[in-house]
Amino acid sequence: MVHKRKKAVTAEFHTVKRIDNSRLVRNVEPAKMRNLWRTVALGGVVAAFFMLYVFQHFRCIDLSFQLEDLKGQHMKAAALNSELKLEIAGLRNPMRIDMIARRRLGLTEPLPTHVQEYEAPDGAEVAAARFVRPNRAP
Amino acid sequence: MQQDRVHVRLLIIAGVAFLWMGAVFGRLTYLQLYRHSEYLSRAMRQQQRTIEITPERGTIFDRNGKPLAMSIPVDSAFAVPSEIADENLAARLLSGVINKPQEEIEARFESSRSFAWIARKLPPEKADAISKLNLKGIYLQKENQRFYPKRELAAHVLGFVDVDEKGLSGIERELDSEIRGKSERIVVMADAKQRWFDGGEAKRERGASVVLTLDEKIQYIAERELATAMAKTRSLAGTVIVMNPNTGEILALANWPKFNPNKAGDSPSESWMNRAVSAIYEPGSTFKLITLAAALDQGITRPDEVFDCENGAVYISGHRIRDHKPFGLLTVSDILAKSSDVGAIKIALRLGAPRFYDYVRAFGFGSLTGVELPYESRGRVEPLDWKPVSTAAISMGQEVGVTPMQLVTAVSAIANGGLLYKPHVIAQLRRDEKVLPAEDALATAEPRRVIRAETAATLRQLMEGVVLYGTGPAAHLDGWTSAGKTGSAQKIDPSTGRYSPTQFFASFTGFAPINNPAVTILVSLDSPVGQHEGGQVAAPLFKRIAEQVLAYLNVSRDVPLNPKLIETAYMKRAAEDPSALEESSSVDFSGQPDPPPAASQIAKADAREQAVSTKPVLTVAVDQGGDIEVPDFSGKTMRDVTDIVLRLGLDPVLVGSNLATEQSPAPGAKVRHGARITVQFGTPLEKKSKPHPGIRN
Repeated sequence: MVHKRKKAVTAEFHTVKRIDNSRLVRNVEPAKMRNLWRTVALGGVVAAFFMLYVFQHFRCIDLSFQLEDLKGQHMKAAALNSELKLEIAGLRNPMRIDMIARRRLGLTEPLPTHVQEYEAPDGAEVAAARFVRPNRAP
Repeated sequence: MQQDRVHVRLLIIAGVAFLWMGAVFGRLTYLQLYRHSEYLSRAMRQQQRTIEITPERGTIFDRNGKPLAMSIPVDSAFAVPSEIADENLAARLLSGVINKPQEEIEARFESSRSFAWIARKLPPEKADAISKLNLKGIYLQKENQRFYPKRELAAHVLGFVDVDEKGLSGIERELDSEIRGKSERIVVMADAKQRWFDGGEAKRERGASVVLTLDEKIQYIAERELATAMAKTRSLAGTVIVMNPNTGEILALANWPKFNPNKAGDSPSESWMNRAVSAIYEPGSTFKLITLAAALDQGITRPDEVFDCENGAVYISGHRIRDHKPFGLLTVSDILAKSSDVGAIKIALRLGAPRFYDYVRAFGFGSLTGVELPYESRGRVEPLDWKPVSTAAISMGQEVGVTPMQLVTAVSAIANGGLLYKPHVIAQLRRDEKVLPAEDALATAEPRRVIRAETAATLRQLMEGVVLYGTGPAAHLDGWTSAGKTGSAQKIDPSTGRYSPTQFFASFTGFAPINNPAVTILVSLDSPVGQHEGGQVAAPLFKRIAEQVLAYLNVSRDVPLNPKLIETAYMKRAAEDPSALEESSSVDFSGQPDPPPAASQIAKADAREQAVSTKPVLTVAVDQGGDIEVPDFSGKTMRDVTDIVLRLGLDPVLVGSNLATEQSPAPGAKVRHGARITVQFGTPLEKKSKPHPGIRN
C-alpha cells in the first residue's frame, strides 16, 4: 500500500549574505593578459587601418572635388587667355588700323619722295653682305 | 515555469530577427541578382557623365605669326530628357532664353531620352542665363568655336568650318585632318548634388597649327586695292595674286566678291569660290609670253627680228584673224610691247604646234599646280591635235583655259630665270611649338627648268618694253623698274556661244624690280564696265599694289624718283582716294570684339587731341610689329656686325670698310625678322656729322 504523503509546503527565505572580498587578491594569469593585450593591439591596428582607409577614401573624394574645381578654374583661365588673344588679333586687323588712321586720325600715305633710302657710296655692292636667293639660275 | 517563459520569449525574438534578416537578405538578393542591371544603369546615369572632349583646332598664322584663324571654347546646352521632371516647364523657360519656339525644344526632348542638344555655341550671356535657370536635366558643355579675327582678310585661302568644326573650304578643308586633332571621351563622377569629381585625364591631341606663306599686310594691300578697283571698274569679279618668284611662296591671294568666314552662310555661295585656283579663263594677250618664251628658247627668232603684221589681219585656214589695231612691220620686241596678235600668230606658226604644245605643258598649263588649296582646276589645254587655226588662237591666248595661279606661276618662272616653282601657301605645320615634318603633299618640290636663263633674261627685257613704251605704261612704278604683259580677252557670251563684243577679261601680270624680282603680281578683272583693257584697268592696280608691297618689303629702288611728277600724280590720286576708300571699306566692325576699356580710353584721348589740333598731319601709321631690338654696332668690325645681324635673323647691308661708324635703324629700334640693317664703316674720324634723313627700316 502506498501511502499518499502530503506534500509539505516549505517557505523559501532569501537572505542577503554580505561577503567582504576586498581582501581577495585575484591571481592574474600572465598568458591570458598577453592574449588580451595582443587582441587589443590587433584590434587597434585593424581599427587604425580601417580608419585610415575611411580617411583616405573621403580625403580622395574631397581632393577630387578640389581637383575638378581647379580644372574648372584652369579651363576658365585658358578660355579667357584665348578670348584675349582673339581680341588682340581683332584689334590688329589691318583694315581696322587703316580706317582709324585715315578717318579718325586724318593720316595719309607718304609720298615716295618722303621716304629716302640710305645713299650707299660707290663700291658698296662689293662690301654688301646680302642673303642670296636660293636656286637662282646662273 | 519561468524558465520556459524566458525560452519562449527568446525564441520569439530569435524568430523575428531571423525573419527580419531573411527579409533583408531576400530583398538584397532580389536587388542584387534580379534587378542588378537596371539599378546599375540607373546609378551610372545618375553618378557618371561621359564627356566628349572636342579637340581644339590648330591656329592658322600668317608668315609673321599673326593669327588668322583660331578657336576658343564656348558653351553649348544639352538635355538629358529622362532627368527632366516637367518637360513643358523646362521648354518654356529655355525658349525665353535661347529664342527658339517652345515646341521645337519639346520636340528635341522627345527625340531622345538620354541626350539632346538644346543650343550649340551660345554667347556667354545666354549660357549664363541657362545656368541660372538651374534646371534639372539641362547641362552646359564646352565646345570650341572657330573665329576669324581678321574677318574677310584672306577668307578664300583660310576657308571656313561647319558647326561641328569640320573644314568646308580653303586650308580648313585641305588640312582638316591635321588641324582638327582627335576627340576623346572621358567619364566623370557626380555626387548627389551633381557636383563633378574624379574626372579622368583626357590625352587630347591638339590639332596642328598652320603657318602660311601669306603676309597679313601684303594681303590687306592686295584686298584693299582690289576692292577699290572693283568699285571703280564695276567688274563682276576680280583676283590678285602676289607671289615670291624665287620660291613660289604666295604672299597674298585676294578675290572679289569676298565673304566673312565668321558668317559664311550669310554670303552667297558664289562668293566662297577661290577664283585664283578654281576659275578658268582665256588669258588673252598675257599668253603671248608663253608663245615668245617657246620661240626664243627654241632659237627660232630674235628680239630684233622684224615680222610683217599684215596691216592688222591675217588669214589662217580660211579664218580671218584681226589685230586690235593695224600694224605694219614690227620687231619681236614690238610685237610683245604693242601686243600684236598677227605677230604672235606668225611666230607660233613658225614654231610649230608640237613644240609649242610642249612648252605650254612645261609651263604647267593643263595640269594642277599643286598649291595646297582645294577645288583647284587643271585649266584647259586641248590634246596635241592642233590645226593651224588652233595654234594661231592659242598663241594669242584663246582656245586655252588657264587659272590665275597657273599664269602667275609661269610668269614667275620668267622672272626668276627659267625655273618653275610649285606655288605654295603653307610654310610649315606645328604642334606644341615643334615643326612637324612635311608630308609628301606639303613638301616643297624642286623647281623645274622650263626655259633657259638667257631666254628668261631676254623675255624680261621684252616685258619691260610693254611697260615703257607698249600697252602697259600705267604699270610704270615710281622708284622701281617693272615688267609685265597686259591682257584683254573677250569673254564668250553663253547665249550666243561666240566672243562677246562688250564683255572682257582685263588682266595684267608682271614683276618688279626687273633685275632681281622680289614679287610677281597677277591682276585680273572680270567684265569691267567702261574702260576694259588690261592696260587701262589692271595695270594701274598692279602699280598700286607693287609700289606698296615693294616699299613694305624694303626692296631697294633701282630708278631715280621724279619728285614733281610724283607729287602731282599722288595729289591727284589722293583727291580721288577718299571716295574709293569709302566705297571699298564699307565694313562694320560690330562683329569684332570691343576694344578693352584702357584701349578705348586711349583712343578717345587721341581723338580729343586730334580735335584740338587742326593742323593736317601728313604721315603714315606703320604697324611694324617688330620685336627684335637693333644693337649698337659702333666701333665693331664687319665680321662682328655680320655675325650679330645674321644671328638676329636680320638682313645686313655693309657699306665701306674698317669699323662701324653709323647704322640704320638706330640702336634700340624695334624691327621685324628679316629687316634690313645698313651699317656704314670707316675710321672714326670719317664719321659724318650730318645724319641721313628719313632712313627706312
